[in-house]
Amino acid sequence: MIKHFFITLAVLIIGILFLGAMIIFVIPNIQESAYILPAVSTAQADSIPVGTEKEKLEQEIADLQAELDKYTPTDAFFVVNTSSNHFYLYVKNELSREGICSTGKNERLVIDSTKREYVFYTPAGVRTVKSKGKNPVWAKPDWAFIEDGLPVPPKGDPSRFEAGSLGAYKLVLGDGYMIHGTLYKRFMGQNVTHGCIRLLDDDLEAVYKALEIGSKVYIF
Amino acid sequence: MSEQLTENEDSFPVKKHTGFKIWITFIIALILIPLGVYSYFIIDSVRNYTNTVKAQAEGQSTVNPELFRLMKDKSWLESRVKMAASDSVGLAIDLENQTIQLELQGVVVMKSKIRDYLVSGFFRQMEGNVYFNTFGTPMTILSLQSSIDKNRFKVVQAPKSAEEADAMSAKKDSVSKQDVYWTVMLDRNIELNIQGIDSIKDAQSKYKFGQDFSSKRKIKNILSSLRNMADLKKPDYIPEILISIPESEAKSILYALPQKPMITIRI
Repeated sequence: MIKHFFITLAVLIIGILFLGAMIIFVIPNIQESAYILPAVSTAQADSIPVGTEKEKLEQEIADLQAELDKYTPTDAFFVVNTSSNHFYLYVKNELSREGICSTGKNERLVIDSTKREYVFYTPAGVRTVKSKGKNPVWAKPDWAFIEDGLPVPPKGDPSRFEAGSLGAYKLVLGDGYMIHGTLYKRFMGQNVTHGCIRLLDDDLEAVYKALEIGSKVYIF
Repeated sequence: MSEQLTENEDSFPVKKHTGFKIWITFIIALILIPLGVYSYFIIDSVRNYTNTVKAQAEGQSTVNPELFRLMKDKSWLESRVKMAASDSVGLAIDLENQTIQLELQGVVVMKSKIRDYLVSGFFRQMEGNVYFNTFGTPMTILSLQSSIDKNRFKVVQAPKSAEEADAMSAKKDSVSKQDVYWTVMLDRNIELNIQGIDSIKDAQSKYKFGQDFSSKRKIKNILSSLRNMADLKKPDYIPEILISIPESEAKSILYALPQKPMITIRI
């Protein structure tokens, strides 16, 4: 009786394992088998004449390729990967320089008392260089003081202006976003900024020289 | 009388043994019959799917192989031109040349070499009008599941004093190593799986997803199969594409894609 019970139990367990194995391993393979999948189209059309149809298609492909190529700027453009914190500078559609950068830290800074919040991130999309400048002075916004736990000074207060912290050059992208240098080189390659794109000194100089006002900056 | 008894004594163990055999046969049948019926249903669902797709596809089904190749090129470019008109980042997957690229307004902003890929038999069988009906225009994502949170934002309370700010900046986030894989359902009833894998050996093994994802996937498959068996319901056939690319690039693509991105595929 006990022997029969154990045999039944063993058959049941083996059966369940067999069922599981079939569902996981065998059935998907049966499903994918070429014997089971009927040809989605039974094309045997070698005899169909190719001639003019082929020429027409080749022309259409060339036109489409030309249309697609028009989207790529012919002058210099800049690409920023905010996930890996890498930049790519293209000149005449050739990669001219690449390296590390720092981009937005993807953070919401919430002020408890006022329920006001600041969002620090580098927005994806296409921007253009609005203006360029040398030796920029950083006009510190309110959040720079709030983040440091300091009282916010009035507008135009001398404590708001800081020279040297943005490096030797700046390229303004609009909405408060810029490409500039940094004093904090140890943070390069990390998501640490308030939305701007920070570059190392040599890279910044090369990018400053290559990009003109109106050059496109692709951020993703 | 004594003969009758012997007969009864002899027949008793024989009857018991037969009952046990019936019981075992019943268990085996209980497993094999639903399995057989389910296998038939699965095969039938594949056939139904391909027949439906064929019925929906318009145009010429029989195409000369040389023209077919050119038509695929045309379809790929046409789809990318449509994607270029959008403001958002789009994904272009070229399985023929084994590349995957992010495009922003027609500009290739990131290009990655596909380490390995697997496609369902359905894609290997498709030709002519079915191909163009499926891949002729960009697809969109219906749902997305990923091993890492696509939303990278963290919320920080503003410090109340300079001392609190110093303490906050001294606190560093720990960076944990996580498997990167994500799976999306496309609007043409195709499941696209992308996994970040840095070793070529790993890339060549099917569904080398992280343990957690892999287990969840198996459990989901078993449960849905058992549910279908119990309900005597035909399972749905969903063709799949599995792509292995370097991990950092899988992560970049996941973060870069908007909520409803366009996806173009060439097979």
